[in-house]
This record gives sequence, structure tokens and C-alpha cells, in this order.
Amino acid sequence: MKDVLESILRGIGTGSVYALLGLGFVIIYKATRVISFAQPAFMLAGAVLVTYLVKPLGFFVALVVAALVTGALALGVERLAVRPMIGRPVFTVAIITLGIDIAVRVVVNALIGLDVRHVGDPWGLDTWKLPGGILIEQRHVAMVVTTAVLIAGLFLFFRYTRTGLAMRAASYDQEAALAQGVSVGAVFALSWALAGALAAVAGTFAAVGGSVSESLWLVALTALPVIILGGLDSLPGAVVGGLVVGVVQEVTATYQGDFPWLGGNFSVVTPYVVMLLILLVRPYGLFGTREVERV
Amino acid sequence: MRNRPLLRTSYGQEVALLDTTSKRVAVGGLLVVAFALPWLVQDEMLQLLGVACVTAVGAIGLNIVTGLAGQVSLGHAFFLAIGAYTAAALAGDPEGRTIGFGITEVLIWLPAAGLAAAVAGVLVAPLATRLRGLYLAIVTLGLVFIGAHVINEWSELTGGPGVGRQPPAPSLLGYDLNTTDAFLTRDQKLYLLMLVLLVLAALTARNLARSRVGRAFTAIRDRDIAAGVIGVNLARYKTVAFGVSSFYAGCAGALLYVGAGYFDPTSFNLLLSVQYIAMILIGGAGTVSGAVLGAFLITLLPRLTREVPSFLPFISNSPVESPNAYQLETVLYGVLIIVFLIFEPRGLFGIWIRLRNYWKAWPFSY
Amino acid sequence: MKRLGAITLAAVLAIGGLTACRGGDSDNGDTSSSGGPKVDVGITKEPCPKSEHKDRGCIYLGIISDLTVGPFKALAVPITEAQKAFWKRVNTQGGIGGYDVDAETYVRDNKYNPQTHNEVYQEIKGKVLALAQSLGSPTTAAILGDMKANNVLAAPAAWTSAYAFEDNILESGANYCIESMNAVDYANETFKPKTVMAVHLAGDYGDDAAAGTKIAAEKLGLKFIDVKTDSGTDKQAGAVTAIVTQKPDLVIVTAGPADVAAIVGGAAQRGFTGKFIGTSPTWNPGLLQSPAAPALKALYLQSSPWKTFSTDSPGHKAMRDALGSSITPNDGYTSGWVWSYPLLAALKKAQADGDLTRAGLLKAAKSLTKVDYEGMLPDGAGNYAGGADGIFRQTLIYNPAAQTSPTDIPLVKDYFTGPTAKDYKLDKPCYEKL
Repeated sequence: MKDVLESILRGIGTGSVYALLGLGFVIIYKATRVISFAQPAFMLAGAVLVTYLVKPLGFFVALVVAALVTGALALGVERLAVRPMIGRPVFTVAIITLGIDIAVRVVVNALIGLDVRHVGDPWGLDTWKLPGGILIEQRHVAMVVTTAVLIAGLFLFFRYTRTGLAMRAASYDQEAALAQGVSVGAVFALSWALAGALAAVAGTFAAVGGSVSESLWLVALTALPVIILGGLDSLPGAVVGGLVVGVVQEVTATYQGDFPWLGGNFSVVTPYVVMLLILLVRPYGLFGTREVERV
Repeated sequence: MRNRPLLRTSYGQEVALLDTTSKRVAVGGLLVVAFALPWLVQDEMLQLLGVACVTAVGAIGLNIVTGLAGQVSLGHAFFLAIGAYTAAALAGDPEGRTIGFGITEVLIWLPAAGLAAAVAGVLVAPLATRLRGLYLAIVTLGLVFIGAHVINEWSELTGGPGVGRQPPAPSLLGYDLNTTDAFLTRDQKLYLLMLVLLVLAALTARNLARSRVGRAFTAIRDRDIAAGVIGVNLARYKTVAFGVSSFYAGCAGALLYVGAGYFDPTSFNLLLSVQYIAMILIGGAGTVSGAVLGAFLITLLPRLTREVPSFLPFISNSPVESPNAYQLETVLYGVLIIVFLIFEPRGLFGIWIRLRNYWKAWPFSY
Repeated sequence: MKRLGAITLAAVLAIGGLTACRGGDSDNGDTSSSGGPKVDVGITKEPCPKSEHKDRGCIYLGIISDLTVGPFKALAVPITEAQKAFWKRVNTQGGIGGYDVDAETYVRDNKYNPQTHNEVYQEIKGKVLALAQSLGSPTTAAILGDMKANNVLAAPAAWTSAYAFEDNILESGANYCIESMNAVDYANETFKPKTVMAVHLAGDYGDDAAAGTKIAAEKLGLKFIDVKTDSGTDKQAGAVTAIVTQKPDLVIVTAGPADVAAIVGGAAQRGFTGKFIGTSPTWNPGLLQSPAAPALKALYLQSSPWKTFSTDSPGHKAMRDALGSSITPNDGYTSGWVWSYPLLAALKKAQADGDLTRAGLLKAAKSLTKVDYEGMLPDGAGNYAGGADGIFRQTLIYNPAAQTSPTDIPLVKDYFTGPTAKDYKLDKPCYEKL
């Protein structure tokens, strides 16, 4: 029982990082109908920036600065490489984002240098003991709290600000929004910047308690099944999907030793298995909007 | 009467494969050059061109399901893997460390590899009838990850990651293609084999596209509901599309690593799938020649970008400094793809169309 | 519309540039001249491009390494740098029989992908005598067949036990398999474990080390548990859980540095108190700043095939001098330097035999019974004539987490051969026995 609870708690922790990553993908998707394969590179860029900034600025300021800088970087990339592609097939744009990923990742890898780097977070691997002897890692609590705060912020932003309203309008119907005076270009830019910033935060928290190395970008790929199983255009879906994937992964990791026929480290592929199972039942994910097709 | 472009006097002309004299001449010339290449360029280059030919077969396959039928599949690496391992197992050494049945006849293991992959494609197709667009893309991507887990674990078949196994050693009707002999070197033979396969694959794909099936595919791509309404059986044609596409992928996978003489289960990853998508987009989705051009470009591009730094003497070639030549070469690969798609979204095929139109009216191009 | 003309031109030029004509294979066919050694591929009478010795010819060596986006970039870059410095030093010391050695012109990036590796190898194969470095085992496996067919010799940048069976590979130091046998033997004496667990990446790197662990555990009568993991800090949950629930007394871990920090840190935090020994190259000095540092200090030791960067030996000193003071100490440099000695010995021997052709070099390499590592490896290392029985079997144990400065890493046990490794008959690559 203790094992199950502890692995669920860990799963919620890592799942909230997946949720942040998923949110970035979904925000871009809602605005532009594109899956941005550049998110892994932005995630890595954010984490690497924090490793450089944490000495002079301290963890929290460094995190904010890195998120802003990565957001600006994403904004620049959107202006340069993605904006000219408006109205082009979405897969062409997706491949462009992949080119961006390759280019940005080479630069970031050069910044990592020869040694493993660290984000210098205040939690490390410390734990709290809950009643019943259950251990909970402080970093996982921090991840959940950060994610909750960011989600609340996003919710308020989309619900109560003019810009948020504009973004919702643009995602609902670009032309109608344009006709109402919404600058769809600004919406695109803002959604890339938001997604970049979220990726930076997610990357940093993925490295909390661990380290930053070239392989960190692989974490971002887990966000793909997350957004699909939550529903591509659903922000709550990304959050729920992230948590589900996180928990399933950790619970599988705990018990995979009892099922040797699954092969080594089966937990790594569980996100995809869960995704396939859910999609067979619900083809638009848990919360995705069912497309209404007219001929 | 000489053929004029766009002047058709019969239905036969309209649907002909090569409808103008200039096309016939150009294709004929290209084929002559392609078949003469083994005696013109070095083995090293031939090996690369052979890989490009096989890659082109795979790209044509993806083009059928994605370019023609509009079902974006990121699972191509999965089908390539099935083909590669079916062929390697059939042709493998029965005494070896990995599963092998010792059937080296290429006419047996190549179609078998294609069929095995096609069966997998047909099994996957029901997903496509249920999902669309990006959902389908990411779900097929899931196949790649789950498939990678299986082949990494099944080391009796694959040799295991980092160890790998040998690809099939081809022999054609008893003639050994895998060794150098008095007439031809190994690379020359393999290149010719791969070129012939490419020509066959391209012809078949072109014919498929002009057939009833091809038209059904296009209808599905353009508007699947409309296609359904006019009587195209969506489930059936999507299944056919996945089956044919996977057959191509299986054949390509079987031959892809023959030149290199070794392959590793970790090769069949997301990146490989995405490269194939990039090929058909860069080539120009929906056309066979586009897929072939794209495959050649993506295969040869790293070779080209490796040459670039030597023209820029101020770039350091010491890997500890940044920026250095190796970083530049990798960045260039990414940037070229971006620049290319921004400036020519219709792909290489689009450039070709514009070139043709330019020279058609030359020197009065305005 | 001028752009289109330009595109046509560019395309034609690009194609022309790529397809150098057939028949140009033997661009350096100048065989033995005026009593010099016999030569064929990869040696020119013209001086090396950057050489100061205009009167000497040039021996070209290729380097294929993981320089930008691959997983071993952090090791590969210093390895490559050290090797360039090594061959420069050879040149300032007089070169090899009237030739300078160039290891800078044909350096290529393999991105740790077997196909890319083969592609760049094919590209430079006709221009180099041998490979000063071929990084990675799956990548090297992709070119091994061709190397055998063309008598190409290579220094590897990997320690897999399969190389003991390859004449074309000049490996140095104890392989992964022997190293982990020694690690288990050492732990058996020191900690008296009852259960041994191997946590490892897949592939001949991880599997090789795990097989060594298994062989040693079986010989010592210890219980052995095999746990496979994947690369990436978020993928270690399974390994950590396996360690915490099965509570082995000793864990031999073979993975990347960031993975090791996640495994050791995660296990310690959940109350694990057994010992870890990481096989090389799992350690990275950056781990001392990681949150796992206390756990590493308490539980972690590192086995190593040779001594660290700051060791006091003639070879180490020559390396530090050659690299200059501007670099940060890193054992990638040490490895690159050590791996170069056998190739140097082979070149010298071939030159002495008057046959610097590829076949001659290969023959010279095969006949080496010892290599002078200038004190970096003990006597007896580099017995290539002995085949798989002649492999080097000594390993060291370090306690890298207890270091006070990057140049002072406490040595726990100097070069030793454990009883398992001493008697072990290597009859096929270890990873096949897992």
C-alpha cells in the first residue's frame, strides 16, 4: 500500500511536468493548428539557461528570467520561420519546427559543454514524511504547486483579459476574429512565446533533483502522447493527460519487475500504450473537441 | 504530328505516363545516366546513391498513404523495421547468433519483407478509419515507440541494441550480389539492384495513382466525407493505402542497410519516420517524382553540408570551440530544411515546374 | 527569374562536385621511393597541410567521433582534441620515418548513428591510412566488415569485449566485461555482499558490463539480479524501484553520468544503503554539484581502466603539456591520449619493417606484444599478438565523489586483477552471455 501511494505521489509530481509541456503544445495547437516539434529544444534551452543564471540570480529569479528569455526566443523563431508559413499545410509547418529543433539543439548542446550541469534548485532530493511513513519528495510538491499556479494564471488570463479573449476567439475562428479587430498575428506570436516559457519552466523542473544533459530533451517527447490522450485542443485535457501518464509510468515502474515478460524498463513505453487504448475508445482524446464535418 | 504540351487528341494521350516527347527524352536520358553511373562514379558515392534509391522507394510508399490518400503516418519507421527484420531473418545465417533461415535469394526475401510489412499495415489501418489528422500522426508515432521496445527486447532476432545484426546478403538467381567479382564490384551490383527496384517501384506507384484506386485515394485526401458520399468505401481504401504503403516500406527496409552491411535496432526511431515525412514534403507531396527528389535530397544533404565548412576557413574545425565546423554542418541541415520549405512550399517538384515554365518560354520569359 | 538560372547552376555544380570520377581511386599510388618504406593509401610525399616540416611526407589518419548532437558528445570532444594533440607531439618529436602524421584533415561527426558513421567512413576511407578514432561500438560495427576487407586499422573509443576478437581494432585497457568482474571482486573482498545487481543501459556497452558482473557473481556464489534501464533522467524510476525493493548489497551501474546521479540519488533518498560501483565512463565531475552528491559521497565508487587526468606519469605529463593550461581537466582527454599509443607503436613497427601499406600496418599491429604507454598503463598492456588471451585485465577503483579538487581524486585501489578476471577465458564477446 505504501509503495502504491508513494509511486502515485511521485507520478503526480512528474506528471505535472508533463502537464506543463503538454500545455505548451496545446496552446500552439489551438492558435495555429500545428504541433510544434521545436518544444523539446526550447525546453532544453530553458533548463540550460537556468544552469547559467542560477549562480548570480538564485533559482527563482533565474527561472523567471529563463522563462522570459526562452519565450522571447520562441517569439523570434515564430516571426522568422513560422509566420511566413501561415495558410500552408500544417505538416509543412510541423517539419519546419523540426528543423528549428535541430538547429536550436545544436546551439544549446554547445552551451552545455563537457560537464553535466545543474539547475541549483533548493529542494534537491529532500523528502517529507507523511503520516503512515509515506515519503513525499519536496521537489514533487514544488512541481505540483508550480504547475497549479501556472494553470491558475493561464485560466485567469484566458478567462478575464482582453488578450486572453482574443486568443480564444482566434482559436475558435481566425477569420471571424480578424473581422472583429483581433490581431491574429499577435495571437500567434503570443502563443509561441507562452509555449516557449512554459517549456522552459517544464525543462527546469524536469531537471530539478537531477541534472541537465543532452538527453533531457527526450522528456519532451512524452508530452506527445499526453496531449493526444487529453485531446489536442483541450487545456484541461493536457493537465489530466499529464497526470495520468505520470502516474501510470511511476506505478508501472514500481511493479514492472514482477512482469519480466514485458521486457526491460517497460514503463518508458506505457504512455504510448495508454494513448492507444484511450484513443480506441475516444478518437478525440478524453476532452478533445469532436470535429463537426460539413461537406 | 509532334506532340504539343497540353494538346490532347485522344484519351490515351491524356492518361499516358509520358505524354510529351520531351518527357520521354528526359526520362530516357535520366535512365541512361542512372544505369551508366556504376561505371562513372566511385564506389563510395555509389553506395550513397544506392541508399538514396532505396530511401526513395520508402518515400514513394509514404507518399501513397500520405501524399495521395492524405493519411499522415509517422509510423513509417515501424514498417521499415518489419521489412528489415523479416528480410534479415530469412536471409540470415542459420548458424549465426541471430535468427536466420539462410534463404539468400533476393526474389524471395524482398517480396516476403514487403508482405510482412503490408500485413502489419493492414492491421494498423483500422486506426486510420477511426482517427484523423494529427491524432492519426501521433498514434502511428506510438507504433514506432512500441515497436522500438519490442525490437530492442527481442535480441534473438535483432541482435539487441548496440550489437545489431547483419542485413540480408542478396543473391539473384544464384548470382552473389554481396561480393566483388571480376566484372563488377559489390557496390556496383547493389546500386544496380536498388536502381532497378526504384524504377519498378516508381512505375507501379505512377500506375496506381492513375487507376481507380488512385483516384479513390485522391478523393479521400481532398475531402473524405465527400468521397464517402460519392461511393468510395473509406475503410477499404484506407486499408489498401496502408497496405500498399507498408509494402513499399517493407521492401525499402529490407534493402536499406545492405550497403552498410550492419544495422542496429535503435535506428528505427522517431527521427527516421520524420525524415521520410520531410522527404515527401520537400519533394512535393502527392507526386512520385517529388518523393524521389526529396529522398535523394535528404540522403545527400548531409554529404553536401559536410563540404560547406571547408569553404569557410574562419570556422574552427576544433570540436572544443564554438562555433565549429561540425555544429555548422548540423545546423545547416536544419536551417536548409526550414529555408527550403519557406521559400518553396510546393517542394522540389514546385521548383521543377517553375524551371520548366521558365525555360519553356526562354528567352522571352516575361 | 534569375534565381531559377542560379538554382539550375547550383544543382549542376553540386552534383558535379559530389560525383568525383571513377578511376581516381589511387590518387596516391606512389610506392616505395628511394629506399623509403612501401606505401599505398593515405600517405603522400607532399607535406601535411598544416605541417611546419616541409621536407616530410604525410600520413593521414581519420577520426570519426560524436561531436554535436549524439549522446557521447561530452566525452568525444575531449577525446578528439587529445588525439590531435597526441599526433602533433609525434610530429614535433620527429614524425614517423620521414613522415608527419595528420589527424586533423579528416575529422568527421557520426552523430552516434551507425549509418552516418558508415557514410563518413566511406567518404574518407580512400584518403586515410588508418583511423585514429572510431567512436562507439554499434557505429564501429557498421564499418568493421569494410575495414577487414580493406585492411583498415582503427583505434576504438569504446571498451567492448568484442574487440578482443578483431585484428583491425587496437583496443586499450581492460574491457567493460573484465572491468566489472574486477569491480565485483573488489567489492567481494571489501564489502562482502550477498546479492549483486547490475543496472545497465541496453547494448554492448551496458550488456557487456552486466555480463561481467554476472560471471563474477556466479563464480563467487553471489545472487545476481539483472536490471535494464534507459538513457534519460526521467527514465530511471524503474531502476530505482528495483534497487529499493530488492535491496542488493552491491549495485554495478553502467549508464550515463546524469542517469547515475538519478539512480544513486533516488535510491539513497528512498533509504537504500548498499554500495554502488560505476563502471567507466559513468562519472562526470559535474555530478559533485548535483543534488545526488551526498548520496554519491556515501555510496559510490568508480572503476576505471586507467588513471585520471592529473596522475603523475610521463605519459600523463606529456598529455597535460601538449594540451596546454587553458583546458578544464577531463578524463576524456586521458582516454583519447591512451588510445593513441598502440597505433603509434604499430606505425613505428611498420615503418621499421619497411612496409607502411595498410596490409603492412595491420601485420605490424597484429605482431605487437607490448606497447609503450609511457607509464599510463602498466607493463604487459598492448599484447595484440596474444589475441583474446592477451587482453589486458587490470582495473583501478577510484572514489571520485570524495575529491577535494578536480586534480586530486582519491585512488582506492591501484591496478589489480581480481581472481575472476585472472582465470576467465574470453571465448566470445561477454554480452552474448547475459
